[in-house]
Amino acid sequence: MPRASRFRVGSAGFYTLIGVGALLWSTPLIVLLFTAVKTPGDFAQNGALSWPRSLELSNFSEAWRLGIKTYFMNSLVMTVVKVPTGIFICSLAAFAITQMRMRGANALFTISLLGMIVPMQMTLVPLTILYQQIGAIDSLVGLFFLYLGFGLPIGILVLRGFFRSIPRELTEAAFIDGCSWWGVYWRVVMPLAKPALVSLLILDAISTWNEFILAQIFLRTESQRTLPLGVVMFSGEFSTQYNLLAAGQLITIVPVLALYLFFQRYFVHGLAGAVK
Amino acid sequence: MRSSPQISEEIKPWLFAAPAALIFLVVLVYPMVYSIYLSLFQWNGVSSTKVFVGFGNYIELFTDNRVFWIAFKNNVIWVLLSVTVPTGIGLALALVLNTGFAGTALFRSVFYFPAILSMSIVGLIWSWIYHPTLGLLNQTLHALGWTWLELHWLSNPRIALYSVFVSAAWHNAGLPMLLFLAGLQTIPKECIEAARIDGATRAQIMRFVTIPLLRETTLIVIAITAINSLKVYDIIYVMTYGGPANQTQVLGTWMYFLTYNQNEVGLGTAIAVILFVMTMLFAVPYARYMARDQ
Repeated sequence: MPRASRFRVGSAGFYTLIGVGALLWSTPLIVLLFTAVKTPGDFAQNGALSWPRSLELSNFSEAWRLGIKTYFMNSLVMTVVKVPTGIFICSLAAFAITQMRMRGANALFTISLLGMIVPMQMTLVPLTILYQQIGAIDSLVGLFFLYLGFGLPIGILVLRGFFRSIPRELTEAAFIDGCSWWGVYWRVVMPLAKPALVSLLILDAISTWNEFILAQIFLRTESQRTLPLGVVMFSGEFSTQYNLLAAGQLITIVPVLALYLFFQRYFVHGLAGAVK
Repeated sequence: MRSSPQISEEIKPWLFAAPAALIFLVVLVYPMVYSIYLSLFQWNGVSSTKVFVGFGNYIELFTDNRVFWIAFKNNVIWVLLSVTVPTGIGLALALVLNTGFAGTALFRSVFYFPAILSMSIVGLIWSWIYHPTLGLLNQTLHALGWTWLELHWLSNPRIALYSVFVSAAWHNAGLPMLLFLAGLQTIPKECIEAARIDGATRAQIMRFVTIPLLRETTLIVIAITAINSLKVYDIIYVMTYGGPANQTQVLGTWMYFLTYNQNEVGLGTAIAVILFVMTMLFAVPYARYMARDQ
């Protein structure tokens, strides 16, 4: 089979093929990267994929100044506050479900599963009404509680999967040694669960950073916008200056990319845990 | 005195679970029940009176709301494409990456990367690729001389949905790829080795050993993909806003426009309930299947 062997795994033909594939797959990002450092003239006159004539780093500072800074800070504060809080709440619930003799553990777990499945649209109107009544519309604090709620299911699922693998004898022994339930949770189970907690941290940070629907519906004024929403609004305002838009989009992507690259191992682990 | 520690042992787990349970009640359970209730009323969201119409909203959607059927049809198309195209790409990539050549990790990162981006960013990036004159796609087609193919990708009602789908697929192929890779790792090397010793070709091994052993992973991937793709919203909102002329509406976006732009809260919540029921059609058999293993 001469044809097949030309692309045998590990051969030059094989690498060419997969290399071209990877390059095509990355094209949208390459275009974004090129555009973000072009001058408006360079962008308008030369093709989208043309090599930038100059390195216009001022695009980034300009985009930052025109609004991206506010959105970035909002997203950063939200992610830094929401993710640990959410994981703490999830771990408490997962601990109760797996390690304690809990009546209604199945009910709580079923609601978690339901939360993974239910389309968000099913909750939007009542939440809007509730938030209007308590004055939580257009507030990052209000959005924080929604993010907590919609982040719980996957967190409980991932941690439940991991906590279940911790032998009961271990926690019961600690319990008999005089540990309170809190002590078992904090000194035995949580330290053992570190890998799962880190996985969840990465997954949750990325999805919090990226969230769009709730932000779009519950935030109204510019000062409250998070990045995914802000960048879309930004595109409406500066639609002709695509080099600025590209710079803004790139600023949005970079933190997620950094998290992903540094914690890739945990990331894959967490995803597998969420599905099984 | 004997009974008090017993009672507290009953309550203690709930003290740990209380924050989660409370948030679930407020953010999930109560809104779901209230949405079902609201779907039985005609209400503009502002006035103090709600008119009870029974299943009137559902009947109106089914018989009198043309865009509902466009959205419904688009949702079905979207789900069918989602369970085949990005899933197929994910499987193909996983099979190639699983051969274990040098540099696998690098290529895996490259192919997975779009999956960690926000859908709103994906939508923005691709909106520019599709730009009629400044976009990469038409510029490339122009350079190749295929001017007849230089279409208005997002404003031509016949192709807009598919243009959006391509950008979504770029984002959505990553998760199936990772899941298939994880599934491939669980296939015992001996099975493949035994087939090879028996004289099976690479294609035969794929067809008769690898693919059948991936059955469970495939089920998981298809169920998750179907459930997620039913909820499509943000990429359509960002790229076409449901247009042109509502031709790219899906149930998620049409629910939004009816509720928040046209103040038809009853119709909007009815769509939400319909969407929920459709999701459960996939989710219940899947949950049953997964529960069987435990």
